[in-house]
Amino acid sequence: MEKKIGVYICKGCSIADAVEIEKLEEVATKEKKAPVCKSHDALCSPEGLDLIKNDISGEGVNTIVIAACSPRVKYREFSFPGNIVERANIREFVAWTQEPKTEDTQALGEDYIRLGISKAQSAELPEPFMLEELDKSVLVVGGGIAGITSALGVADAGYNVHLVEKQEELGGWAKKIHKQLPQTYPFESLETPTVGSAIEKVNSHDNIKVYTSSEIEKIAGVPGMYDVSIKTNGSSEQVKAGAVIMAAGWRPYDANKLGHLGYGKNPNIITNVQMEEIASNGKITRPSDGKEAKRVAFIQCAGSRDKDHLPYCSSLCCLTSLKQAAYVRESNPDAMAYILYKDMRTPGQYELFYKKMQDDPGVMLTKGEVVEVRDGSAGTVEIVMKDTLLGESIVLEADMVVLATGMVPNTKIEADVLAEWKGKFDEALTASGGKPDPNAVLEPYKVPNILNLDYKQGPELPGIDEAYGFADSNYICFQYETQRTGIYTAGSVRQPMHMAGSIEDAMGAGLKAIQCIEATAAGNAVHPRAWDQTYPEVNLTKCTSCKRCTEECPFSAIEEDEKGTPFHKMSRCRRCGTCLGSCPERVINFKDFSIHMISSMFKALDIPDEGLRIIGLVCENDSYPALDAAALNRARINPAFRFIPVRCLGNLNLAWIADALSRGVDGMILLGCKFGENYQCHFVKGSELAEERLGKLQETLGRLMLEPERVELKQLSIQDYDKLPQILNDFADKLDEFEPNPFKEF
Amino acid sequence: MAEQVIKPDLDFVKGIIAGGGDTLKKCYQCATCTVVCNVTPAENPFPRKEMLWAQWGLKEKFEGNPDVWLCHQCNDCSVYCPRGAKPGEVLGAIRKQTIKQYSAPSALVDVVNNKSLIALIFLVPAVIVGLFISMFGNWSPEGDIIFSQFMPILPIQGLFTPALLFGVAVGALGVKKFWGDMKSANGVSTGDLKGSIIATAKQVLGHEKFKSCDVSKDRYSSHLFVFYSFVLLGIATGLGVLYIDILHLDSPFRFGYGTPVKIFGIAGAVAIIIGTLMMINNRFKNAEKVGLGSYFDWLLIAIIGIVGLSGTLAYLTRIAGVGGIAYPVYFIHLVFVLSLFVYLPFSKLAHMFYRGAAMCFMKYSGREEEEEAVQAAPQETAPAPEADAGPDESAPEQTEGGKES
Amino acid sequence: MSDQETNILVVGGGISGLTTAVEAAEAGYSVAIVEKEPFLGGRVGRMNKYFPKLCPPTCGLEINYRRIKFSDRITFYTHAEVGNIAGSPGNYDVTVNLKPRYVNDKCTGCNACTEACPVEVPNDYNAGLDKRKAAYVPHQQVFPHKYVIDKAACKDDCGVKCKEACKYDAIDVDMQPESISIKAGSIVIATGWKPYDASKMDNLGFGTSKNIITNVMMERIASGTGPTGGKIVRPSDGKEAKRVAFVQCAGSRDENHLAYCSAVCCLASLKQATYVREQYPDSKVSIFYIDIRTPGTSYEKFLNKVQEDENVSLIKGKVAKVYEDSATGDVIVEAEDVLANKKIKVPFDLCVLATGMQPTVSEMKLPSDIKINENGFIVPDKDQKGIYAVGCVKDPVDVAKSVQGATGAALKAIQTVGRKS
Repeated sequence: MEKKIGVYICKGCSIADAVEIEKLEEVATKEKKAPVCKSHDALCSPEGLDLIKNDISGEGVNTIVIAACSPRVKYREFSFPGNIVERANIREFVAWTQEPKTEDTQALGEDYIRLGISKAQSAELPEPFMLEELDKSVLVVGGGIAGITSALGVADAGYNVHLVEKQEELGGWAKKIHKQLPQTYPFESLETPTVGSAIEKVNSHDNIKVYTSSEIEKIAGVPGMYDVSIKTNGSSEQVKAGAVIMAAGWRPYDANKLGHLGYGKNPNIITNVQMEEIASNGKITRPSDGKEAKRVAFIQCAGSRDKDHLPYCSSLCCLTSLKQAAYVRESNPDAMAYILYKDMRTPGQYELFYKKMQDDPGVMLTKGEVVEVRDGSAGTVEIVMKDTLLGESIVLEADMVVLATGMVPNTKIEADVLAEWKGKFDEALTASGGKPDPNAVLEPYKVPNILNLDYKQGPELPGIDEAYGFADSNYICFQYETQRTGIYTAGSVRQPMHMAGSIEDAMGAGLKAIQCIEATAAGNAVHPRAWDQTYPEVNLTKCTSCKRCTEECPFSAIEEDEKGTPFHKMSRCRRCGTCLGSCPERVINFKDFSIHMISSMFKALDIPDEGLRIIGLVCENDSYPALDAAALNRARINPAFRFIPVRCLGNLNLAWIADALSRGVDGMILLGCKFGENYQCHFVKGSELAEERLGKLQETLGRLMLEPERVELKQLSIQDYDKLPQILNDFADKLDEFEPNPFKEF
Repeated sequence: MAEQVIKPDLDFVKGIIAGGGDTLKKCYQCATCTVVCNVTPAENPFPRKEMLWAQWGLKEKFEGNPDVWLCHQCNDCSVYCPRGAKPGEVLGAIRKQTIKQYSAPSALVDVVNNKSLIALIFLVPAVIVGLFISMFGNWSPEGDIIFSQFMPILPIQGLFTPALLFGVAVGALGVKKFWGDMKSANGVSTGDLKGSIIATAKQVLGHEKFKSCDVSKDRYSSHLFVFYSFVLLGIATGLGVLYIDILHLDSPFRFGYGTPVKIFGIAGAVAIIIGTLMMINNRFKNAEKVGLGSYFDWLLIAIIGIVGLSGTLAYLTRIAGVGGIAYPVYFIHLVFVLSLFVYLPFSKLAHMFYRGAAMCFMKYSGREEEEEAVQAAPQETAPAPEADAGPDESAPEQTEGGKES
Repeated sequence: MSDQETNILVVGGGISGLTTAVEAAEAGYSVAIVEKEPFLGGRVGRMNKYFPKLCPPTCGLEINYRRIKFSDRITFYTHAEVGNIAGSPGNYDVTVNLKPRYVNDKCTGCNACTEACPVEVPNDYNAGLDKRKAAYVPHQQVFPHKYVIDKAACKDDCGVKCKEACKYDAIDVDMQPESISIKAGSIVIATGWKPYDASKMDNLGFGTSKNIITNVMMERIASGTGPTGGKIVRPSDGKEAKRVAFVQCAGSRDENHLAYCSAVCCLASLKQATYVREQYPDSKVSIFYIDIRTPGTSYEKFLNKVQEDENVSLIKGKVAKVYEDSATGDVIVEAEDVLANKKIKVPFDLCVLATGMQPTVSEMKLPSDIKINENGFIVPDKDQKGIYAVGCVKDPVDVAKSVQGATGAALKAIQTVGRKS
């Protein structure tokens, strides 16, 4: 498209009081040769907007640079569909943070005009990436309550579903229980399991195809077009799907590891899972002799909240034991249930159920630590406890003990399986002659398990080892944000949760699956850049197949062909641009964001021989809003800084640093999200990768005879805007101590 | 630390629930009650732990337990209880169980406090009094109203003195047993008995403990009235005996209202009526949070009320000279006074023995002195920065164990 | 004739409402948000940090606001409330009452009106701990970043200084309330919660001492955008608060107040304990609890992390008396240390009442078939189609569960509307 640039400068909001508008116009017209340049007292006013619209229609302006306020405001006013629009933020970054009408302020304003224009010059309109073929059905892995709910939810919205269950029948744990917790107010009486009717709905639903006794052999392809092979006792079937919901569920913690609680030593010490079976058979009897168990003790946190077993709380054992106490009481009015807890955890309105059960004369509770569980007389069991509310050290006799064992997600891979995998892998390794990298492959999530993704970065979801094997989201506000686009988790495989919770969660996952399919169909990215229609384009002719992009992509969106040449699986891509930063050959670029674009912006800057010039590359989600907020508070920002937003610090390409410093820029500060534990980067490792890359910078700078400290990365949260001025001044002061960049002369 | 075997007893739990402690199981051990209670000691305070023991049916925990008796049932705890567990009422029910344990024959406790037997427990004394009248008195005396003609002095003394003695004796034996249990249960061997008794007496006369209750202050005042009405009427009766048996005066004593016997008598009568009315009023006032109270409670209020009322009415009708009413009312009066005496150790009135003993034991065992120290508020024990090095006493590991207690 | 037609109407612009809206919109459906405050963000917009990651809520909000800005499927009405709801699933007629903002779309956010405004009133955004002008934005990261005039606070004699000061003719003091009608296929109710009124617990002394505050106030005090710029001090005298008590279940799990567990207070207090410990290395924190409720993986991990700090004490025993020692300004807290089996009285600089969440079904007239239980929560009905409740108006839940439920509600809503493509 033949570009015709129009530069529009706003004088409002005290911009005109801070800088000479005429000089800005000169920069645009004389220096940058913009054919059209106009200013207005209030560009966002109807009159101001007409000025621009008339030029679009009349003058044929199609590339617009708005030099006014931050792009985070007046976004509706300054949107001109079909045209390239760039925003030069001279209100927040100049007028509101600088001394009015000083040389520095003027220079800063002019530089932002230069940056804006050169960015507009190298930007192109996006053309959405379209899949040739697209399948809108959803694959649901796991036929427990979560999987069933997701399947029904998606099917009822009009989409086809493939529901795959390992067992012979659907229902999972929800089908194995005697009674279920009250699902609604007043949360007082147990309910007969409702999963049955849900299963009927599934089986009779036109949009749902059920595969029982089946497992996922392989998932290849991309969101919108997955090729799934489902193995059903021996024979495998190929289906297509647009998105995947993993509701693989959980398994009870192996009670054989609970010897310290007497499991296995006495047949009358059972798990809460066994208790469900006993209850469904009618009277509550003890295994040893089938005698009725009139005194049943429930030991809470059996394995859970225990660093030697499950360090976490399994969330529903308290409720389960209260429920099973009801079994005991219903079976015999003279029977007693003892509940021995650390903390009673019945959050929310389930407190009402706790209250109800506690009011039962035969349900007795105390806090305490179980010290020992030993045989009593005549098949009974003795529980020794300390620090109880009943006394410092007590012994309690019971006919039967129920261990409230916790949940282990089915994504958790047990040590023995890992070992076996390692064995297999070592063989393969020797066979293949030392490839691929064993350490990488030995990460737990790389052991084939549930999804068996045909992805370069491994067959399962990453990140589960940090979450005790649960496939949970790292983000509080975005519960379905996984590191595999189009694959969403639901139910107790993501977090230990009760049935009501799983049902809610499963509906959410269903929505995300549909959303991903529709976004892909429209050529859009998915969250967090849902609006984005650009995508990485690779100039393969210059690619050296160094594979950095394939390794650093947080979403395993880049595969390699047989020759080892990388290529994007586009609808897996979240458009973060980590690959752009990783590429030493600068061959990965977006239509509106490229290596060349940023470099040319550096080149556009006016670098005087005197005075500091610092470039700030800022994460556009957190650091940029922080800068804006500082400006709204009218904080004074050091005038040496020129801020350029990036999609993520993962975009940082070392070439940029070389370009900037060789242009005579004195230093560069990178503002990005917190990394490490509890990282906040939505592209997982953006700022961390940037830090790593800076590490490799030493010799580059050495070659240029420059101090490595000239480039620094700061982790900054969106709320740290009060600290920003200080951070920036400190950096500027540090640079002041160095000699001016020797490249200034060139 | 020795292992202590816990033997939950569901029947004991059901007993308490049936005996006015129906809210027992609602308690979830938040300990609000112990904090709002102003009569509990700070070390091993009640009623939280008692609530749990009762929930678990650990009846042995209540043998020789003075704490349940230190509770004056002011129900501050019940007002603030987040679960409506009404610890005050539950402890009342527990106290009833312990009365049963110490006042022999315990069967009588059940009889006296059995709603369905209410007719019986008043019929028996009525019959006895009736017999005495038939034998020694005159059902319808002529002329001026003279109660001693209706029921002569001697038989009255012959009936009521042993009745009272019985009541007191049973109570005394119960206290003896209770005292022993308290000593063994709390591992106390010796102490200053005399001093403790005097101190207790002072405390009781001043109602010092009861006074400290917050929300339900008026329970304190009503109890004060009734308590002193008993004292006054006791004195009046004593004087009566003095006049009749030593000075050999004939009743009714026709001398002025200025004289001691009249002053004490009338004052006592007024006090007992006001007191009971206040008690009834209080019950209804905070019924919403505390409940109306148990049959156990109401029985005593009723007896005392009727004694006071009938006594007064008999006196007034006598002055008015309405024999048709005076004698029947006097009869009722005698019946209820007799019930009061005989059922003394089996009704709620038994608290005068056991609470007295428990309060006394607090001093005897020296626990009360320890209190002074602990109560000296506020402790710097817990998390003050100036608290010097070393994990301060409120650090979790310390608290969790609570070893020192 | 309706002023707008939309697939889904979301009532409430807090984390739940925003999530339902953006998720449904990105699935291809049109959504209208109705928020009664002049700004979006709701309660989470007032939080300093989220547990357990201790990250700022504004981060996630910024992403959601951005999703709204770039989406042509989302419209939102702030300072607006739902009036009447008529019709049936698939086609509801909803009247929305727009309260006048007295500031029109010409507002550039230049702050001139605030500078000019002579009136100062208690700042509800900061839980009344400081003052704001009558012409204001509550803080610098609000969305929409458009000023509002609190007419109730205006002085008639001020001479409309804000209007004079505005260069952009953005102030319209004669703006009138408006009522518009919206046609919607489905309705999602996400009106959220309000903190329980702490003064109702007479034994916990709220209101008798400035140094007895609620957990909501603590979030503001600890926040860099709050009244003290993030410095944790005693409101009474500005003294550094180095001895801080947290009183759990202040109203929750209590028949006399909130019969249910508010589900977030334990974690909130653990989180706020880290605020104090981080700011003052020589500080000591006590958390008085009945049961510590940190269910799941990351929450339990967070509990363990806080417990490792020997200057944080967790004491089992509900606080039942709190009062100020007039001599020192200290707050005396009385509880039973249950596991030590003794009553304790401890002085603190600051006492934080972990007050619970109370559901707010706003002024709107709900259709009669929507059930509300005696705790004020909407009772979801499995067979109920068309109108769905989500978040804290249905159950006391944390942000994570709100987001799960809100995303699920979006699916229910689009089921009612029907597949688009």
